[in-house]
Order: sequence, then C-alpha cells, then structure tokens
Amino acid sequence: MAILTVLASCKKQNIDTSLVNLPVVEAYLIPGQLVTVKLYKQKQLTDTATYGSPITGQQVYISDGSKNVLLTESSSGTYTYNDQSFLVTGKTYTLQFNYLSYAVSAQTVIPSKPTNFALNDTSIYISTSSRTAASPIDTFANLTWSNPGLLNHIIVFKNLTGKNLPLGNFSPTNSSVQINANQTAAYYITENTFHYYAYYKITLYTVNQEYINFLTSNTNSTSSGSTSQTLTNTFTNIVNGYGIFTGMQAADNILYINVHPS
Amino acid sequence: MKKLILVLAISCFSQWVTAQQTQKILKKTTINKLFTCSLDKLLDTLSMDYKLKIAFEPDSMQKFDVVEHFFNESLKEVFDAVCRKNQLHYWVDADGTIYILQNADDLERLKKLNQIKNLASGANQFFKLEKPKDPPKHFLFTISGQVLDQNTGGALPSATIRVRNTTLAATTSNDGNFIIFNIPADTCVLEVSYSGYQSDYLRLDAEKIKNPIVFGLLPALNSLNEVTIAGKKSGVMNTDTKKIGVLQLTPADLDKLPSLGEKDVMRAFQLMPGVSGTNESSSGAYVRGGTPDQNLVVFDGFTVYQVDHMYGFFSAFNSNAVKDVLLYKGGFSSVYGGRLSSVTEINGKDANRNETNFGVDLSLLSVNVFGETPINDKSSVLVAFRRSYQGPLYNKIFKQFNTSTVSSGPGGGRGRGFGMQTTPASHFYDADIRYSYHPDVNNSFTWSFYSGTDKTDNSRDLNLPAFISSNLSNMKIIDYTKYGNLGSSIKWFRQWNKQLHSNTYVTYSSYFNDRNRSNTGTSTTNNVATNFSTGTVENNDLKDVGVKSEWEWEMSNKFKLLFGGFGTYEKINYEYIQNDTSTLVSQHNQTFLGGGYAELEIDPNHKLHLQPGLRSTWFQATGKEYLEPRFSASYVLSDHYTLKAATGQFYQFINEVTREDVLNGNRNFWVISNNSNIPVGMSRHYMGGISYENDQVLVDVEGYYKTLDGLTQYSIDQTSSVRNGPVTVNQNFYNGSGRADGVEVLIQKKMGRYTGWISYTLANAQNKFAVYGNTYIPADQDIRHEFKSINMYHYNRWNFSAVFIFSTGHPYTVPLSTYTITNPDGGTSTSFTVGGKNAERLPDYHRLDLSATYDLLKISGNKVGSIGLSLFNVYNHANIWYREYQLQNNAAVTTDVKYLGFTPNITFSLRWK
Repeated sequence: MAILTVLASCKKQNIDTSLVNLPVVEAYLIPGQLVTVKLYKQKQLTDTATYGSPITGQQVYISDGSKNVLLTESSSGTYTYNDQSFLVTGKTYTLQFNYLSYAVSAQTVIPSKPTNFALNDTSIYISTSSRTAASPIDTFANLTWSNPGLLNHIIVFKNLTGKNLPLGNFSPTNSSVQINANQTAAYYITENTFHYYAYYKITLYTVNQEYINFLTSNTNSTSSGSTSQTLTNTFTNIVNGYGIFTGMQAADNILYINVHPS
Repeated sequence: MKKLILVLAISCFSQWVTAQQTQKILKKTTINKLFTCSLDKLLDTLSMDYKLKIAFEPDSMQKFDVVEHFFNESLKEVFDAVCRKNQLHYWVDADGTIYILQNADDLERLKKLNQIKNLASGANQFFKLEKPKDPPKHFLFTISGQVLDQNTGGALPSATIRVRNTTLAATTSNDGNFIIFNIPADTCVLEVSYSGYQSDYLRLDAEKIKNPIVFGLLPALNSLNEVTIAGKKSGVMNTDTKKIGVLQLTPADLDKLPSLGEKDVMRAFQLMPGVSGTNESSSGAYVRGGTPDQNLVVFDGFTVYQVDHMYGFFSAFNSNAVKDVLLYKGGFSSVYGGRLSSVTEINGKDANRNETNFGVDLSLLSVNVFGETPINDKSSVLVAFRRSYQGPLYNKIFKQFNTSTVSSGPGGGRGRGFGMQTTPASHFYDADIRYSYHPDVNNSFTWSFYSGTDKTDNSRDLNLPAFISSNLSNMKIIDYTKYGNLGSSIKWFRQWNKQLHSNTYVTYSSYFNDRNRSNTGTSTTNNVATNFSTGTVENNDLKDVGVKSEWEWEMSNKFKLLFGGFGTYEKINYEYIQNDTSTLVSQHNQTFLGGGYAELEIDPNHKLHLQPGLRSTWFQATGKEYLEPRFSASYVLSDHYTLKAATGQFYQFINEVTREDVLNGNRNFWVISNNSNIPVGMSRHYMGGISYENDQVLVDVEGYYKTLDGLTQYSIDQTSSVRNGPVTVNQNFYNGSGRADGVEVLIQKKMGRYTGWISYTLANAQNKFAVYGNTYIPADQDIRHEFKSINMYHYNRWNFSAVFIFSTGHPYTVPLSTYTITNPDGGTSTSFTVGGKNAERLPDYHRLDLSATYDLLKISGNKVGSIGLSLFNVYNHANIWYREYQLQNNAAVTTDVKYLGFTPNITFSLRWK
C-alpha cells in the first residue's frame, strides 16, 4: 500500500505559470481625490524597469453598490473617474474588469477620517556630528491623533525640499517617508525617522487592514527576507490579480515639520 | 575490589576465570633466566615450565632470536619485552590461551590452527565445559542474573543469554539484568554473547541456580571480525530484526566512520534508511517524514531540547559519555510519548567500577577529555568535557552557517550576520558527569548531569573620535548569542524480586536561547549623565521538571508487563524586547502533564510476539485527557525470515518554532500547545516489514504510512518602515495537517574484513496548510529518493571507510515574476509572484566522505586509541542549502546558499587503559 501511495504521489507538481499573466492593480481610493486605478503587467525577473508595462484599453468599472461607473483611460494604463463626490466614508466599492480570460475584481470600504491630528513642534534640529549607530535615539517631536476605534493608520512625510542634505550614509532614492503606525494614536519623531534634512508635509491616513496586510506580508521588506525557504506571495485583495485596491482617508489638517541640521 | 571478589564468587565456574588465572600467572610469576634461542623455543619453554597454553606459528617465530637475561622479572614483563622487541602483540583469550600475533588479524587464523592442532594431537582442549556433576535435581525453575563488562564493571544492555539446545533465550535490560523461566533442568548450559565481547558459557548446577548469576565478559580483540553466533550483530550500527524501526548504535565504534571533527551519535543515524542524511544544518533527526522537533530525545531519563551545536552541524552529545543510543523510527512503545514521529534514547556510560581510566580526543575542532574512576567499592564517577577551539575548521563551519554564505551576485550580495566583522569569539562546550552508587545488589542510584552551551560574543567597545564622543562615554556594542541545554536526573533502580524491577527518575531539564544585540553607554547632556541601551533582546527559556517511574514485571516466559507513571511541569518564557522599553513579544506559559502507561509483551510461542499497549496523558493547558493506543507484533517465519508490524496513536504538546531572520540567523524557540492557535499535534502510524538475516548478511525492508494533524508553523515577521525605526511584529500561526509514507531497504554485510551497508529510502512527506491553499504540498523535509552506501574495510590495525550519500533535491519555492506599485508616499513596493509553495526541487544532493583510522594497540593487544584522517565532501560538490532572491536595480538576483565543500580533518584519540 505504501508503495502505491508513494508512486501515486510521485508525479511532478506543476507550477501554475499562468500566474505571470495576471494583472497588477494599484488603487488608493481617497475621498476628495480623483478615483484613480493603475493597471500594470508583471515584470520578468531580469527586467530592470521600475514598473511593468501599462495595461491599456480596458473597460474598468467601479461600483458603490448603487452606481456602476466606467473609468476613462486618462493616460496609458491609468484609469480615472472625475467625480470627487463619488467616494464616501463607510461605503463599499467594487472594482471589476475583464483582462485576457480573467474576470478581475476587488472590494474595499472607505474608512472614517482621522481626527485631532496634532504635532507639538514644527521645527527640529538633528545634530550632524553625533549620529553614530551607537547613539541613543532621541525623541524630537510627537504626532498625536484620536483613535478610539483602534483603526489602522499610516503617516506620510512628504519631502518638499529635495535631497541635498542626507542625514546619514543611507540615501534612498525616495526621500519621503511612510510610517505604518498600526492601531496606535501617537508617533514619536526621532532622528531615525528621516533620511534627509528637509521641510516635510505630514499627512495622516486611516487605512484598512488589507493595506496593512499588503505592507507587512511583502517578504522583500521583512527581516525574514526572500529566500526559497521563506518566500510567500504578498497579500493581495484582488481576485485574479495582484496589487491593492484599498480605501483610505486623510486627516483634514496637513502638518509640516522642518528638519534642520544643528 | 570487593565487587570483583563477589562476582568471582558467584560465577566461579565461568570461563573468564581461566583468562583471569592466566593473567595472574603472568603477573605473579617471576623468572631468572638467560635465553639465547629463537622465539619459538622460548615460548615452548615458558609453556612447559609454567603450564601456559601459548598459541603461535612456529615457522614465523623461528625467525626471531632472543638474547635476553631476565632477572627477577614477571612473566608479563617477559612477554612485554620480547613482543615489543620483535614488534609482536600477545593476546590472552577468554579460555586462557595466550596468542602471539604478528598482526591484529592473526587471531582468528591462530585460533583455528590451535583447534586443529588440539584435535590432531588428541589432547583435551584447554577449555572444556565440565560434565554435569550430578543427575538433574531441579526442573522448570527460573534463573535471573546480570551481564557485566569484566574490566569496567559496567552493565551490558542487549546481551543475549541462551539455554543451549532449547529455544529459551533472554536479552539483558538497560541495567544488564535478565531472567529466564522454565529452564528444563539444572544441568543445562547457558551461553552469553554480546557484540565486541568474547562469548561465555556456564554449566548450571543445583548450587548455582540459587543465586543470581553474574557473567563478566571480556572484550574481544577486534569486534569487526568476530564470527561466532548466528544473528549476532557486531557492526557500528545495528538494526533489531525482531522489532520494527529500531536502530541501535554503540559510540565506541564510531571512529570507524568518517567524521567532521567529532564522533557524532546523531549524525551516524543519518546513514541509515528512514533518517534523512542531507540536512547539514541540523543534526536533529528527520525521521520518516518527521521534523527534528517531532523526535523525542531522552538522555538518562531527561528530555533534551537543544540537540546540536554550531547551528546544527554537531550533535550535543559527547560520545565518550554515551554507552548506547537507540532510535525508534516510529510505532514506538507506550513507554514513550509526547512526540509525533520518533524517539532517540541515549544512555550515559557507567563509570569504570574497577580501575581509574582517562583519555583524550583531539581534532581540528575540539578537545575532548574524560576520566572515570571508582570512588569506593560501591560508587564510581565519570566526567567528560568537550570544548571547541577557534581553529580554521571551526571558523570555516561557523562562517558557512552564520555569516555571509552568499556568493555575491551582480551588484554584490547582502552581507549577513557578522559578515562585516572579523569572525567573532565563539565556542561551544559540553560537560557530562555521571555518578553511580550501588549500595547493594538490588539497588543502584545514578546521578547524571549534562550541560551544553553555544556562545557567540561579538561585543566590543566603541572608541569614537573625541569630537563625537564629547558627550558620550562607556560606549559598547553588545552582540551576544547564547543557547543550550542543562539537564540532570537521579535514577533509582530497584530489583524487587527475581521478576520485578523498576527505574524511578527525578528529572530536570532547562533550555535557553538568548540574544542581545544592543548599544549601551552614557550620554551626558548639561552635566546630567544618562545611561542608555538601545537594540533588541530576545530570551527564550524552558524549564521542565518531572518524575517518572517505569516498571517491568516478568510474569512468565510468555508474559511480561511494562507499566509506569509520569508527571511533568513545564514552563516557557519568551520575550522579545526592543530598546529596553517596548516588548514586542512576551509569552509566559506553564503547564502540567501527567499520566501513565501499561504494555503487555506476549510470546504465545517462540515464533510470535505481540505487544499491545496504552498510554494516557492529561494535559493541563487544554484540560483534556489524551489516549494513545499502541500495538506491535512480530512473527518468525523461519530461521532467517521475520515479519513485523506496528501501529499507534501519538500526541505532541510542545512545539519548536522558528523566528525567521535572514539578517541575524533564524532563531528557534519552544512553545506550549493551547486550546486556540497552537493545537495539540496528533499522528497515527502504520508500519510493516520483513527481514532476512543469516551469518553474513541482513536484509530489512520496511514500509510506513503516517497521518499528522494539528501541525503548527509559527513565524514572527518584523517590518520596519525606516532604518533603525520602530519595528512591527507579526506573529503568524499557520495550522495544518500532513501525511507521510515510504519504503526503506537496508542491505547490510555484517562480518568479515569488508563490512557496510546500502540504504535506500523512497519517501513522500506532504503538508496541507490553509495559508498555502487547500491541497497537499511537499513538506520542507520531503525527499523522494535517498541512497546511502557505507563501506568499511578492515586490514590489521587500519580501518578505511567510504560513505556516499545521494538524494534527490529538497523542495523549494521559486518566484515567477515581480511587480511594482507606488506607495502613498511616492516610494515603490516590489513583490514577487510565487508559483507555488515548495513547487520546485533543488538539484540533487550528493557527496563522498572518506576516512582512514589507525588503531593504537598495547603490546597486550588492547586498543588504547586511534589516529584518523577524514575527508568530507571529497569531490567538493556544491550542494545547495537554499536560494536567496534579492532585488538589484529592480531585477531579481538569485544566489545559491551552499552547504560545506571539501573539508579535511584529523583526529587523535588516546585512552590510558
């Protein structure tokens, strides 16, 4: 019996190579902004382009349960809908389109708006000399907000100045910073928050769990890294596709912070 | 010495006495004589004068001339002197005959010649069993007794005692005890045999059967070439043809196999079928599709949680402190429980009860010393200590498994661990102490202590330029890893009467795994000094305190009852702390496990053996009782063929989990099952087999099928959005089930100059975890075909061996493509599209290891050590451990992380006696 079982299970397990044809969706539904859905193809492993080639000519629909709207392709692979009042807090939105032989769909909710977003300092000075790996981490300023419902949040620090003054040896191409604040109601700005001395615009978003899952399940960004032992698919909420289709909402007030060398 | 006299008094008719007498003559007789003759003449003279039986080849001995004046010298000194001068050895055999040997292998030939000579001359053989003194008086009675090593006084487990011309036989227990019922008459002859020892015989009489019979066996000259009793095993590794899935190993013979630095008891099992031999990063046992944490490792009664050193490359057990090791590959007895797959039982070595002995083993990796001595006539102690030193071999292995093993791809690989540093201070050590106390014949107490630790310390002071450090002082980088196991047990053996004995244990085991990577110092601002500490600290510790009592009641030749009870308290702490303040993970769990077992061994006739058993465990964490029925059976078809089978249900209440961390190395921890996210594991085994055995060859074929439920894969991922920034920890518990099946074939040549075996395993191990989909996928440890060929050739004092291992590849996960989207902050996020978990296979694994060992012999023929050369992975085959995928300039770069290439090693071992 054991022999039979072994023989029966001996056939090679086939990899589903058709997965490489699935489309990649990038859509952040933020009330007050244009509804934008970007569609990409996947890239070959050896491809050095940043993004996959755009998927054009699709009939992309978004429904809010009562209204099903067709998006227009404003530029190659970018599909938009111009009615800024379409996205409403608490409503569920469904994406649908047919790509190749796949019926692609996804669903998300617009989370409630963050409130009482505040910063206790607008200007901080970070020393240029004492920055070593062994330095104690100093807290320079605090960001706070209300979070009675324990919603997930992300904070985006948009660099408005440029990349002339790096803070350390590590100078990433992206000079802005995105922090996953999870379900907390505060974030302490430290010297490690930034990569560049600059003037930053701070936006706080409430986000859905699906986006946190997307952020944290990518093995390229976790300490476990991407090896043949740990490799898993990044979380996606797209049926017959990859990427993310998620609602988020920004706090009404935008804050600013100036990070100076001292 | 009293013990010796006691032994002597009890078995005074046993044949070793004759050897003893010869030794006595050699030591006590002094001679004053001048010899100027050929050696054969000298031997003849000594033989005549002192009534010694000396066997030699006259033709060869004629060539040696002796011109020597012995003045008040003992006969032993005479033999020592002439043999040393002529590069000969002499050997006193159990029957008292002194054999003069030119080569160690001459003994067998001389013995045969001696027999023929005796027959031809019509002379009585020197040793012959006495005729019964009286007609039989007692019938169908019971005898009990013990089998010991005559030199050390240590008990010999698994020795065979047969009643000549009957089917009655018994095997000694762990304590060397045996019992035989229904002996036909008190004139029968008992035969005792044990691997590596000379057989012994005893004629019973009315007096002898009144007391326990103690056999003291003498070591054989060379265990590899012993050919005496059919069915007797004398190899490095043995299988029990009567039982299913049992492997037995005697570490003393391990120097005949290639070794990488250490004689390794766990690695040796990996050469047998059903135990995977291709996991260089784990000396834990992957048995029949199981993982190492599903293998229960018991050392002198206590559980060992950390079974290896150096990232899995060496097992944690010092072979000098180990008497024997048993591996139950599945379907094991109800005496054992708490693991899903297999049991490794390690018995510590008894200290020499007769004389002091010490020894040393040296290799390019470690120093290993031991000493053993009797303290008084009732107690003895053995101490063994081993420590690695940071030579080139240590550093090579350390780097292979810890630092950057990544060959730099285009754009350069990512440095891992200490890759940026010089090799940090690192070592492992282990210590064993074993104290035995025998207050009387029926009681013995043994205290066993084991401690093993791996430590890597890369801590250093940070000297900053003055302009930076103006406000900082005492700056230190702490980079420290320490893990290991400390265990101890007290065992009380009690022989209640001839038929009933018990072993009662109090056990303690503690596992720890600590990591500290932080920066400390003092920061002075406005003349206020603040001490600070930043970084991460990870601690896991497990404590296990238990009591258990195991009883064996020999009811009759047909029935034997095993029963017992156990209670264990387990406590596990796991903390993962960042920057002194934020606790990322904090688990404090404790539980109690308690229960009992009963098992009946039934032998309705000498062909059939049935063994039903039941084990019950109450587990506090779930508040439930777990019943584990077990059953095994064997049937002797004919002299050579045996059928066997086993089945059973098995539970596991504690799991080893891994926190994956490519940057600093994976960390392993133990967690306790609960009612929610970590279920109690359950497995069912179905096993069957047939074996064929004759004097020369053993063929064993076994098949198995296992189901597994309640498997847990646990991982902690941490993400940090910014450099050194706050860490987000995700604890993932994936629950699933599994199944495994396979066929194992073993063909072993047991006797002769050339010994060895061929092992082939066809296996299949699959898991089903909802997180990877709803179908069964290959388990990480799944290997389809595994072929192993172990070859040993013995020539006089040389032992050569060649071990070849081939297996088809491990499954692995491969990316198909990548995709990138923009984040809200304008940065990008690139992911891999994964084809299927474990859907591809790594290339085949294969390697060849060679070794040559030269035995160091005393003039009197006793082995006192060896010198060996081992070559690991001789043809330097690049075996792939796993693959790493990195994004370089948006493209994915694949690099192979490899196992160890060609590595030579030299070993040296020496015993005082």
